[in-house]
Amino acid sequence: MKDIEQFLRDNAPETPDEGQFMIETNARLNAVEGIKQTVDSERRRGRVALIIALVTGLVLGCLVTLVVLLYPIQPIRPDQSIFIKAVESLQNGKEFLFGAIACLAIALGLVLLSKKREAF
Amino acid sequence: MTRERFISEVRACQGRLRRFLTSLCGDAALADDLAQEALVRAYVNSGRFIGNFKAWLFRIAYNCFIDNLRRVPASSVSFDSYEVQHVADASASDDAFRHEALTRALARIPEKERTAIALHYFEDLSVKEIASIMQIPAGTVKYHLSVGRDHLKQLIRL
Repeated sequence: MKDIEQFLRDNAPETPDEGQFMIETNARLNAVEGIKQTVDSERRRGRVALIIALVTGLVLGCLVTLVVLLYPIQPIRPDQSIFIKAVESLQNGKEFLFGAIACLAIALGLVLLSKKREAF
Repeated sequence: MTRERFISEVRACQGRLRRFLTSLCGDAALADDLAQEALVRAYVNSGRFIGNFKAWLFRIAYNCFIDNLRRVPASSVSFDSYEVQHVADASASDDAFRHEALTRALARIPEKERTAIALHYFEDLSVKEIASIMQIPAGTVKYHLSVGRDHLKQLIRL
């Protein structure tokens, strides 16, 4: 048993010079560093996009509330034309419309963020 | 860990890391590729590293080797199914010939035995350190060492 142990200790594989290996290692680490920086900047951009989406949603929500308070609902009269009726319906349903736009803005921001994360 | 510290730690143990991988895969070029892959993985995760750098790096390198084995199925035949042949006469005086004999013999034994043998005899690591690198109990490491030695004895004519 001692023979094989001694044989193994005496015949460990040899490795070539470290010079080229360290040069290649440094090159790979530089590449990793570049990727890290790109990922970090994408994350920063993602955070900014999220904040913008949230602020946009909040502002739109506030505007909708303000419009709703300033222009109360007017009942539709049966003698009005179709166009007037449509405009009035729109006016009556404006809180839903602007609410939907605000929700869409937030959802779009979140979807864009998740797509960017998937890309990495 | 800063990049400078990482590089200095790597410079100190890259020779042993490459020798370990060379003894596992029997090909210096592939061993260097695996070592580079291990170093990149280590660098990416260096922020979370705590403890013994060398053991940590060896564990990552071992995992890279295992991943590579899964990607590229081994062409060598397993020891169990192989009709044992003496790969070489290790009593020959030529150093290069003895190294070649050992490399060929190592390639014929199972991967876990090869890893335990390489870490214990070439890198002088204790059974406990090997257990932590291979993530198996110390008793299992001793078993692999014992069986690995027996297999090598059958393959190498001393």
